[in-house]
Amino acid sequence: MAAQQTCGNFTILDAPEYEDVLQCMRCGFCLPTCPTFVLTGRERSSPRGRVALARAVSEGKLDFNQAMKEEAFFCLDCRACTTACPSGVKAGEVMEVCRAQVHQQIPAPKWQGALRNLVLKKMVPNPGLMETSMVPARLYQKLGIQWLVRNSKILKLGPTWIDKAEGMLPELHRPLRPQLPDLSLAQGEKRGTVAFFLGCVMTLLYPEVSRQTVKVLNHQGFDVITPKEQKCCGAPHLTEGDRETTREIAAFNLDLFLDLDVDAIVTDCAGCGAALKEYEEILAERKDHERLSLFHQKIKDISEFLCERGIRTEGLKPVDKSVTYHEPCHLCHAQGISKQPRELIKAIPGVDFREMKEASWCCGSAATFSLKFTDESQKILDRKLENVRKTEAEILVTANPGCHLQLAWGLREANMPQPVLHITELLGLATPD
Amino acid sequence: MIAQDAMQQLEQALGKEKLVTAREDLLVLGYDSTPGLHATPDLVVYPTCTEDVVKVVEVARDFNIPLTPRGSATGLSGGSIPINGGIVICLNKMNRILEIDEENLTATCEAGVVTLDLFNAVAEKGLFYPPDPGSQKISTLAGNVMEDAGGLRGLKYGVTRDYVMALTCVLADGSMISTGGKSVKDVAGYAFKDLLVGSEGTLGIVTEITVKLIPPPQTKQTFLAYFDNIRTAGEAVSKIIAAKIIPSTMEIMDKATINCVEDYVGIGLPRQMAALLLIEVDGHPAVVAEEAEALKAILDEVKAAEVHQAKDAQDAMKLAEARRTALSALARVSPTTLLEDATVPRSKLADTFTLIEQLTEKYQLTVGTFGHAGDGNLHPTVLCDERNEDEMKRAHAFYDELYEQVLAWGGTVSGEHGIGIAKKGYLAKQIGSGGVEVMRRIKSAFDPQGIMNPGKIFANEGE
Repeated sequence: MAAQQTCGNFTILDAPEYEDVLQCMRCGFCLPTCPTFVLTGRERSSPRGRVALARAVSEGKLDFNQAMKEEAFFCLDCRACTTACPSGVKAGEVMEVCRAQVHQQIPAPKWQGALRNLVLKKMVPNPGLMETSMVPARLYQKLGIQWLVRNSKILKLGPTWIDKAEGMLPELHRPLRPQLPDLSLAQGEKRGTVAFFLGCVMTLLYPEVSRQTVKVLNHQGFDVITPKEQKCCGAPHLTEGDRETTREIAAFNLDLFLDLDVDAIVTDCAGCGAALKEYEEILAERKDHERLSLFHQKIKDISEFLCERGIRTEGLKPVDKSVTYHEPCHLCHAQGISKQPRELIKAIPGVDFREMKEASWCCGSAATFSLKFTDESQKILDRKLENVRKTEAEILVTANPGCHLQLAWGLREANMPQPVLHITELLGLATPD
Repeated sequence: MIAQDAMQQLEQALGKEKLVTAREDLLVLGYDSTPGLHATPDLVVYPTCTEDVVKVVEVARDFNIPLTPRGSATGLSGGSIPINGGIVICLNKMNRILEIDEENLTATCEAGVVTLDLFNAVAEKGLFYPPDPGSQKISTLAGNVMEDAGGLRGLKYGVTRDYVMALTCVLADGSMISTGGKSVKDVAGYAFKDLLVGSEGTLGIVTEITVKLIPPPQTKQTFLAYFDNIRTAGEAVSKIIAAKIIPSTMEIMDKATINCVEDYVGIGLPRQMAALLLIEVDGHPAVVAEEAEALKAILDEVKAAEVHQAKDAQDAMKLAEARRTALSALARVSPTTLLEDATVPRSKLADTFTLIEQLTEKYQLTVGTFGHAGDGNLHPTVLCDERNEDEMKRAHAFYDELYEQVLAWGGTVSGEHGIGIAKKGYLAKQIGSGGVEVMRRIKSAFDPQGIMNPGKIFANEGE
């Protein structure tokens, strides 16, 4: 009997593959690595339980119901279970696909649907619109309204997530995308040319970080090309279950970047990197599989890239600080990049590197999880902060804007002194201008 | 279905928040790691103390509802699957370590403490709890006790049974017994504790456990030996034992297992080798040095293809961790992983490997074999697809024939996974109908109504 496709109570478009859920042998190795299971002790909120639920839906034993919707979004998509699973089950991805089922099977109120379409289909894919939309937020800070709002505690009156969202906003600068030159030149002996994939959150909220990324790449001997037409990587659409728009964006970015003559496509955002590396699967329907796999091979996280090429330490200034490192889930679990950032940090002269406990445990940010589940997110964050505290390090380094926002906010709320730096900001401190 | 009166009483006794009735919750609380087995309970309860357990048992007794205890559901024989429906009693929220007694070298824990958490907690005090089943990162202590779990260190340090000193247990009539204690010696009456260990939840529900601790070994050395032929690996094991060396660990993996594990961990295991042995000797430095030398000499003598020594403790731990993933890693290859637990006297190891090879050929199957070679405990694992009926038939024929010979050699049908649902048929072949009958009588003395994990170990009368 040949293996057959079973869809059961999933709709055919964007359903989890039956083979993928059948692969789980229920050993439970994922349970202790899953933040939502550890938090709740509830089997259905564990990777094993979620995969079993997906299997039950596939087999027609369970409707795609409210509980499936809850689990699809309660899953942090941190992928710790993927790392832990010896059988190669990807429970996080199964849940990500289930999010697409939510929108097909459980209709949201009209206004929500309209808002979602406006944001995901109109705004996010259009960098110009996104940049304009940030102007009011910058004015809000520049004109002192933020100071007023924060001190008046007016936000305590609304839903918690608004208060938290406002609190998380870093100091805003002009978006980086329009400022970056199309080509910035390597310094010293040239070692190659890379294209820079500049994520939306990086250009809008952390322009100074990505500026450092380009500076570091140049100093390390690489020409950096930044194509201005590039669109969002599609990660927000994936996490919100809009796989249709993801496919459109992915096709656009793939063709744009593959037309460039570069050694690698580098990003400094772990979330973007993970999504870009998933294009091969997302666009699997396309016939040009060689192009898809070529694109995959070229995508490199900044740490991955610098370690592969070897970091040039000559000319680096010492940074006499103790440093600890939080691993972004989308770097260590989704991309398997764990050693490289540590190698880079240790390569900086003067740095005293201190490993924290559970460095690869999620910080509770997880895209919009931190706003949707503020309580649970706080508990996961507290666990992380405690581990940071114990290292007594002066600087907390990470490599993803989602973690960056959450950790910086958490440290400030907990009155902890550590600044959060992106790994290229730390490298930037060591790199002469 | 649970009678409405029973539900009301449970709600009153425990509070609603400890009861789970939603279909999507029940669906995921009726499996363990045994392939192909699943049942849906009618109700799941999460007690947080022994008194809660007593209250649940009282209601189950009064309404004659089957009770199935469950920890993390990592079992490999179906012990925690509620095949008759009824109530699943999930003990993993009772997870406090109550005491580590350094004067008596004991630890007392609630049922749901995770094995590795206990190991780590006592290690902080310079003590050692040796039993280390493959699933130690998530398996619970009561689960280990009920299945009498083994592990990688069984050869030298024994299994869970060897460390249980006292148990608190709720019986089917709602009464509580405490059996054993912190005394090293205890011959007061029947050894209930020993009867309860390995009873798979059929005699009562364990809520509290006191275990023996020992001082950790001062040092250890870890070796990896590769073989061109799995039979040679079997001979090496027999020779090491015959040379009166008792390693703390002596684990085997065949080629299929090596490749699957390497796919997962990527630490450079040799993919072309027919088998590897992971051997660890521990204890006093002088003894370890002596045993290591003798070990190397034997491995040379049997012509192991290569012998490597772990660089340091971290390196050694990586190897042990890799071995622990063997079963789950094999699951990469095919949708269904049928695992068995055949155990033979160690002198028969090489013959067993030959037999497995022959049967694999005969039934045209893909089989990966790994296990605790030093204990004669092997896990021949058939990699198959439950949707392929013919293949499943051949797989079962493979095991039937294997077990027939294993029993003829004086082996056992289960070294460490228990009988549960999966191996009921084989048990009678091993201990005979007389043996099963005595077990039934013991069961009915403890549980005349038959509400404690019914349908496990032996078939109900008339079944």
